[in-house]
Amino acid sequence: MNKMIFRIAIRILAIASIALSFNAVFTKFIWPEELAKDGPELQKLVKINDSCDVLYFGESSNISYDPVKDTITTSISGLIAELLPNRKLGDITHQAYHAGIYLPLIKRIPTNGKVKTVIVTLNLRTLDQACINSGLETALQKQTLYYANQPPVWIHLRAALNDYDNISEHERDHKMWKQWTDNKLEVKGIKFPYPTIKTWCEAVKFPLADGSEDMSKRTLADHYVKAYAFVIDENNPRVKDLDEIVKVCKAKNIKVMFNILAENTEYADSLVGQSLVQLIRYNRDYLVKRYKAKGAIVIDNLEVVKGKDYTDQNWTTEHYNYKGRKAIADNVAQKLLMNN
Amino acid sequence: MLFNSLPFFIFLPLVVLIYYLLPYRVRWIFLLAAGYIFYGFLQPQFLVLLLLSTCVDFYFALKISESQNKSFKKAYLMFSLCFNIGLLFVFKYLSLFLKDIDPMMANIYRAENPIKGMVMNAIYFSIPVGISFYTFQSLSYTFDVYYGRQKAETSLPRYAAFVAYFPPLVAGPIERFHHLSSQIFADHKPLYKNFANGFRLMLLGFFLKMCIADNAGNYTDLIFNKPEDYSSSSVLVGMVMFGIQIYADFSGYSLIAQGASIWLGIQLVDNFRTPYLSSSVTQFWKRWHISLTTWFKDYLYIPLGGNKVGMPRWVVNILLVFLVSGFWHGANYTFIAWGAIHGLTYLAEHFTKPYINISDSKNKLILFLGGIKTFVIVTIAWVFFRANNFEYAMQIFKSVLKPLGTQTLEITNYVWLVMGVFVLFDVVLYNKRIDSFLESKKWGTRWLVYLILIGCILMFAGTVKHPFVYFQF
Repeated sequence: MNKMIFRIAIRILAIASIALSFNAVFTKFIWPEELAKDGPELQKLVKINDSCDVLYFGESSNISYDPVKDTITTSISGLIAELLPNRKLGDITHQAYHAGIYLPLIKRIPTNGKVKTVIVTLNLRTLDQACINSGLETALQKQTLYYANQPPVWIHLRAALNDYDNISEHERDHKMWKQWTDNKLEVKGIKFPYPTIKTWCEAVKFPLADGSEDMSKRTLADHYVKAYAFVIDENNPRVKDLDEIVKVCKAKNIKVMFNILAENTEYADSLVGQSLVQLIRYNRDYLVKRYKAKGAIVIDNLEVVKGKDYTDQNWTTEHYNYKGRKAIADNVAQKLLMNN
Repeated sequence: MLFNSLPFFIFLPLVVLIYYLLPYRVRWIFLLAAGYIFYGFLQPQFLVLLLLSTCVDFYFALKISESQNKSFKKAYLMFSLCFNIGLLFVFKYLSLFLKDIDPMMANIYRAENPIKGMVMNAIYFSIPVGISFYTFQSLSYTFDVYYGRQKAETSLPRYAAFVAYFPPLVAGPIERFHHLSSQIFADHKPLYKNFANGFRLMLLGFFLKMCIADNAGNYTDLIFNKPEDYSSSSVLVGMVMFGIQIYADFSGYSLIAQGASIWLGIQLVDNFRTPYLSSSVTQFWKRWHISLTTWFKDYLYIPLGGNKVGMPRWVVNILLVFLVSGFWHGANYTFIAWGAIHGLTYLAEHFTKPYINISDSKNKLILFLGGIKTFVIVTIAWVFFRANNFEYAMQIFKSVLKPLGTQTLEITNYVWLVMGVFVLFDVVLYNKRIDSFLESKKWGTRWLVYLILIGCILMFAGTVKHPFVYFQF
């Protein structure tokens, strides 16, 4: 028996050595191409680490613009950089990224490196069920695997073994609907007309004079309810990610600023009503209070962009025209100056 | 639990360790628990189905065995048969009819009628993994008791240990009670030889699944999702890729199951023997999914009269077996077409055998040409197997003959490399198992093989998720 255990142990060691050797080969010849495909922002981060002192983490809101009216298409981070010529600002911008994806990237910023401040885009909608259970999430979760600080061959193996949150779109839909159906909307001081998102959506109607319904308005209102009618608490997975970001930044001695993006509260009010706006403000206040208490700097841009300055008038997005982007950039730059 | 997942890499060694630490009399109880944990990891909501199937077949087999009256015996067998086919119908075929339902619909049902909604959700969101495998495994036992080939098991937990034995639970090989149960209850010593052979089988299995099937799957998806965009040669390559994917995927799974089982001292039956190197479709079916083929032979073909009937009846029997085999995969005309192509080719080969006997030829060129012919027929049949419907299958063929698109499939160098390794292994292992093949080789050869397979898995395994193709069956 002992002899057998010894023989097996020797072979396990031999296989481990083989794996180590393959890690070296893999890292040199295959990894760069794979990383560019599956973890696209890491190589950019490595470059920024060596050259910038402020790092802006953004999603599509950073680079969106009005294709018809905008003569200046500079991104929010670009506008901030223009306002602060003495600071070196780099950005990591990727569509649909959120705190859960920024976190592993922030973990890869070296301690005592050049980067001293990170600005993390905080999009309120990324904390809702539609975003948490989005169909894009599987692909994003796979990217987080590639941002982990582990031997490349091990990351490749984990990806091959689907060792990330890879549940199907159907399952995510199912989870989202369950939350919309079961989660009760309860906040002290706010009276909600309906107890759940589902019942709220069913009740929002726009009758026309001829007895039919304005379906385009109803669809948009339905989307506003689904996007904003939720109550943030510490069990929200994104809140856990944000908490972790604060912790990681503290450990790395990096200043963290949360940039709460503007949401179209004007349309939320006109389409759904004040109770939805109250809820949006409640959620904003929750985040401001929580992260100020944890030592982060919170920039509140929730209502700095007017309804007409959103480029998507028929959907809930944080895509702004130049005026909107500039308003946000001004606020961020000012906070950066104040906290220099 | 999936074989190609990290939890399995913890689960298996742990099970093996505890298994050998336990006194052999209670090991089967541990295996029973492990089987339920293994299945529960995947779909806990369907554990009850596994238990129900086990209890029903156990009960009716016992009744068959106790009954002296032939009509009663037959009635009990029919009950068992109807129950199992009913299960398959509700949880497999019904869901295929309902697959186009919008997930929102399930929620609407849920609001109107919670019970209906729950059933709809369960049906829509997940088909019980491996239901065709464990119901067939369980049914074979009832049949064997009915035909007097097997004494009925009197202990339900012992019977449950046979049904829930985890390595072949969700995708076979489909085991028989007499073969598996005797091993489950035997006293196995931990032997180095078993660990080495199990490792070899699993290593090749993981290579086939992760490097070959998962990489081939990327190309297959591209072509089968939008054949109209690709050139004729690309669609052809996509068709071949699916043939490779399904073989590597399924045989890989079977090898992992066999290897894991050998670590517990239990041998499973072989499920594949280099089928693509067959020189005829008849031979292909002796080497492809062997456990299902022998199941149909023993429990459908022979009860129908086998070859002891007149020619017209025999032809009908053969066609019936192939059509049922197609239907076993799913309630879709495409599977019936797949079965029909194989059945008709099988018959054609039988009737032309006096004039063209490729399989028994000693001429290597003829054997080679026979192999090409078999591969072409099998690949054409796979198109029906893979396509969502008949029109789609036709679209694939149209795209080969009269292509609408010009895009070409770009196959990366490393995929060519692993495909080359795959072909090399298939040829070298012609009609042999890797464990017995390597056992007779010197250590240098063995470690060269390990080096190649480990290297390929670590560096070239596909990273796009492709579930085991046969999990849906």
